[in-house]
Amino acid sequence: MNSRPNGRPNSRPVVVKRMPERLDQKNARSFLREVNPFIQSDRPQLVFDLSQVKHLDAAGVDLLLHCMAVSMKRDGDLKLAAVSPQAAAILELTRTDRLFEIYETCTDAVRSFTYFLPNAMKHFVFPMVRSLENYVPAAVEDGAASASDSRDDTGQAA
Amino acid sequence: MDVKALILLDETATTAHLGSDGAADELPLLLIDVLGRPVLHRLADRLPQFAISEVGVVTNLNSQSAALRKTMPDVKWTSVSGPAIWRAAENKFSEFAQAGAELVIVIRPGAFAELDFDDLIQFHLDQRGRVTCVRDRDEKPLEVFVISASRRNDAAFLFRHQLQEFRVPCVNYAFGGYCNHLSSNADLRRLTVDGLLQRAQIVPTGTQVRPGVWIGEGAHIHRGARILAPAFIGAHAKIRAAAVITRCSTLEHHAEVDCGTVVEDSNILPYTYVGAGLDVAHSIVGFRRLTNLRRNVEVEITDAKLVNTVSSHAPLRALADAASLATFLPVQVLRGLLARPHHGPAPLLPKAVQAPSAALSTPKLQSEGGSAQKTQFPADLAVARRYGNE
Repeated sequence: MNSRPNGRPNSRPVVVKRMPERLDQKNARSFLREVNPFIQSDRPQLVFDLSQVKHLDAAGVDLLLHCMAVSMKRDGDLKLAAVSPQAAAILELTRTDRLFEIYETCTDAVRSFTYFLPNAMKHFVFPMVRSLENYVPAAVEDGAASASDSRDDTGQAA
Repeated sequence: MDVKALILLDETATTAHLGSDGAADELPLLLIDVLGRPVLHRLADRLPQFAISEVGVVTNLNSQSAALRKTMPDVKWTSVSGPAIWRAAENKFSEFAQAGAELVIVIRPGAFAELDFDDLIQFHLDQRGRVTCVRDRDEKPLEVFVISASRRNDAAFLFRHQLQEFRVPCVNYAFGGYCNHLSSNADLRRLTVDGLLQRAQIVPTGTQVRPGVWIGEGAHIHRGARILAPAFIGAHAKIRAAAVITRCSTLEHHAEVDCGTVVEDSNILPYTYVGAGLDVAHSIVGFRRLTNLRRNVEVEITDAKLVNTVSSHAPLRALADAASLATFLPVQVLRGLLARPHHGPAPLLPKAVQAPSAALSTPKLQSEGGSAQKTQFPADLAVARRYGNE
């Protein structure tokens, strides 16, 4: 998990933090105090687990945006994982779902810091991705065609 | 022929409630406004059209009955508590029979069905049955019965068994028209869409200002707001600047949508405030709750900036508006004074940035030749066109 595709280890840790069940103004402050050392570090890599979140209000959304802004200022990133339906409804309501990378599981979110995982996000808040499941780019089609042509040529030569 | 109707409003009916997690403010779906009027009221309005001389309601919904009585003045109400509703229904049936009724239609409203009561009464008379039970296409009972007033024992047996059993086998009337069981919030939304698309005979209570857009009396719609048909805006609803109402969305009476909010494929229930800059999609919003139908989840929203309830009393609403107007300027001044400065002093630019660009200096060819006529390109300079065949 902490190694890159080229084999070199990724020394920067990924911090996974589970959010409380109720994320209102009071809880948001205490949560921010907890995560502040992590987001203030150099190039922080954070994953917030929202599986337990049942109540999320404007202060909670503000906290998420604040954490993401601070992380990105320090050349890091914040990703969300295992978002509960209640939290997802509020994120959609406040139009903040499109600002975050959201993954189905924490494992996918952690792995996404090292690898590109296009399939990990498709079942969540981006319904348009579903319609793209069967989409094959033209370049890929051309490539597949040329590969099959070359196989045919090889077969004829054999 | 004297026909009377008896409506039983039972709190244990199968109708779903909004706020189904046991909250105190939960409300049966048939009491929630759909295109300006609740389903129960629409039923009560419809019955007199079929020459039904009198409509009586027996209810144990005591918390809502006071408000309901005001909105349905032509109906005779009997309020009881808990299981006493069945005894009260039996008494009411006897009262109707003594008053000269020949048939009594008993309705326990759980579903919205566009029944032709004339046809139903004729069917009951033709079959010469004691009790006729209405069923939908799937043989599911709609809890509508026609009982001959002379058959008091059959009626008493039916009431004592909470409309589930009959003393003698009843005659079934198959109903093939429009029916919505209102068993979930999705059904409420479906009924709204069917009404807007005129699949159901639910007429929005408002003026059709353009094809597919109905607006109630006293609604305030900002010039910058956009309403895409079909849509319904209830009486005294407010839509502020840059809000968008689209895809069969409805705002019931006294609902408010703040600036820049998009309401798509959703119902905004009466006296509901929806905050600014939100995206309400595939939902039913009201009573500080948001029911997302696509995710099948109900969320309680305690943050008044997102969703709030407007007071149902006009003086309180006016007072709240006046207070917010009076406190707006002082709050903004205080905010400005207490806020931390966002912009510090501008950082000094490095000298390299402040120096004029080299491109602004005199061209080299002109400076070397001294005059424009003597200017010549160097011999080793090749000029190639990037595109074309020259």
